[in-house]
Amino acid sequence: MNKIEAKNVNVFYGEKQALFDINMDIQEKQVTALIGPSGCGKSTFLRCLNRMNDVIDICKVEGEIKINDYNINQKATDVVRLREKIGMVFQKPNPFPKTLYENISYGPEIHGMAQSKDELDQIVEDSLKKAALWNEVKDRLNEPGTGLSGGQQQRLCIARAISVKPEVILMDEPCSALDPIATAQIEELIDELKKEHTIVIVTHSMSQAARVSQQTGFFHLGKLIEVGSTDMIFKNPNQQQTQDYITGRFG
Amino acid sequence: MTEKPHTVKSYEEQLQHLSNDLVIMGGNCELAFSNAIKAICKNDHALADDVINNDTVIDNFETQIEQEVVNLIALRQPMAIDLRETVTALKMSSDLERVGDLAKNIAKRTKLIKKKLPNELTESIERVGLLVQKQLKSVLDSYTNRSPDIAQDVWEKDEQVDDLTNNCMEEVIKYLKSDSENIEYGSHLLFVTKNIERIGDHLTNVAEQVYFLVNGTYLEGDRPKGSQSIVTGEK
Ligand SMILES: Nc1ncnc2c1ncn2[C@@H]1O[C@H](COP(=O)(O)OP(=O)(O)OP(=O)(O)O)[C@@H](O)[C@H]1O
Ligand SMILES: [Mg+2]
Repeated sequence: MNKIEAKNVNVFYGEKQALFDINMDIQEKQVTALIGPSGCGKSTFLRCLNRMNDVIDICKVEGEIKINDYNINQKATDVVRLREKIGMVFQKPNPFPKTLYENISYGPEIHGMAQSKDELDQIVEDSLKKAALWNEVKDRLNEPGTGLSGGQQQRLCIARAISVKPEVILMDEPCSALDPIATAQIEELIDELKKEHTIVIVTHSMSQAARVSQQTGFFHLGKLIEVGSTDMIFKNPNQQQTQDYITGRFG
Repeated sequence: MTEKPHTVKSYEEQLQHLSNDLVIMGGNCELAFSNAIKAICKNDHALADDVINNDTVIDNFETQIEQEVVNLIALRQPMAIDLRETVTALKMSSDLERVGDLAKNIAKRTKLIKKKLPNELTESIERVGLLVQKQLKSVLDSYTNRSPDIAQDVWEKDEQVDDLTNNCMEEVIKYLKSDSENIEYGSHLLFVTKNIERIGDHLTNVAEQVYFLVNGTYLEGDRPKGSQSIVTGEK
């Protein structure tokens, strides 16, 4: 089933067009990987899916993004609620300048997801465990989130994103600052999360895309060149450009 | 599709090296098999010795190719066409190694035959031998040219190999029946004939691999089969 449908999406930064007529369906409770060379528009497309481009003044988005068959680009959309449902993990970790605990508890608190302090504690612990960070931070939950290493900060942001139980999780290169062990833990988490969530992940690691996703879309110069089952894309893609990219023949 | 070179030159070189090794290995198999057929037909024991001694070259290629493939998978994580190149090389080398073994076995049996065989018999061995040599050449061509059409052609022609093998078997049986003195040599010749037919089968495997390498899909359907009665014992 389609969770998200992008129809004729065009995005401009001022005069410059960054995405051209993107049409893409994203399946529910599956992992969709977006791959392509730097600057091809992956992050821009990802940000279309929870209206994060709104915060960039010069950015203009045209076309429809339907989530659960509802076009989120219409004026009436409650953007705060939208971003609660469509969580995001950014390319650069961006913990709040607060304690580790507060970084996680903030979302569930404002959305009224916990009835008691105990429940909130539980959500914080579960989220940190799922993000494979609990063991490293359980004794320092009152220290600032910004005091963690880059890889730890990224896992903190993942914990924060999942704490509010979003329907869709958007991840922009979530493992780019992680060591292989933490990367494996995040990939395991993604496998786990897809049972209940729809996940869209941008990654520069071809093998990661191949490992974690069921669908893959290849972007180049703002166009979606090819989208299909991950199996097909990495074993026998239809487009020469896709093959050149994934086999390291791009120049 | 002719592919652009890889951005990483050493990767490009490794894949090229793998492919070259396979072509050279194939060339060695061609030589081994044509010499094995010549040796049995002419009862040339010196040539049979050559075939036996040179088999280690083919065996070493198989080991070498296996190591190259393991390195590529471990260090490069090949994708798409590169993955098919890598996996195909591994499978092809193991079929080609079997071709070498079977040729060597023909040579070993040649050395146990100590007299000239009747012409009708050697002619029918030569006939199927030549056809299989052609098949071997074609399948190697299909690999070098990355041609699924030539591969498919080889695959379909295996039917003819089966037919000629059958003729050959009939000749051997005639030879066996004609004189009880012939039983020892005749039984070697049954194996020689069967070996030729099995080489043909390995070549159809290689043809399937080349087809998959280029197209990423499998050759469909049942391979046409020739009259099988004697070869497989089926009616
Ligand atoms: N805030 C912005 N203002 C102006 N142009 C932008 C902005 N963000 C992105 N762009 C431009 O839009 C295009 C697509 O950028 P985007 O960040 O979506 O690429 P990307 O595929 O995510 O690249 P990377 O893999 O390097 O993260 C680029 O040409 C980029 O320069
Ligand atoms: Mg990006």
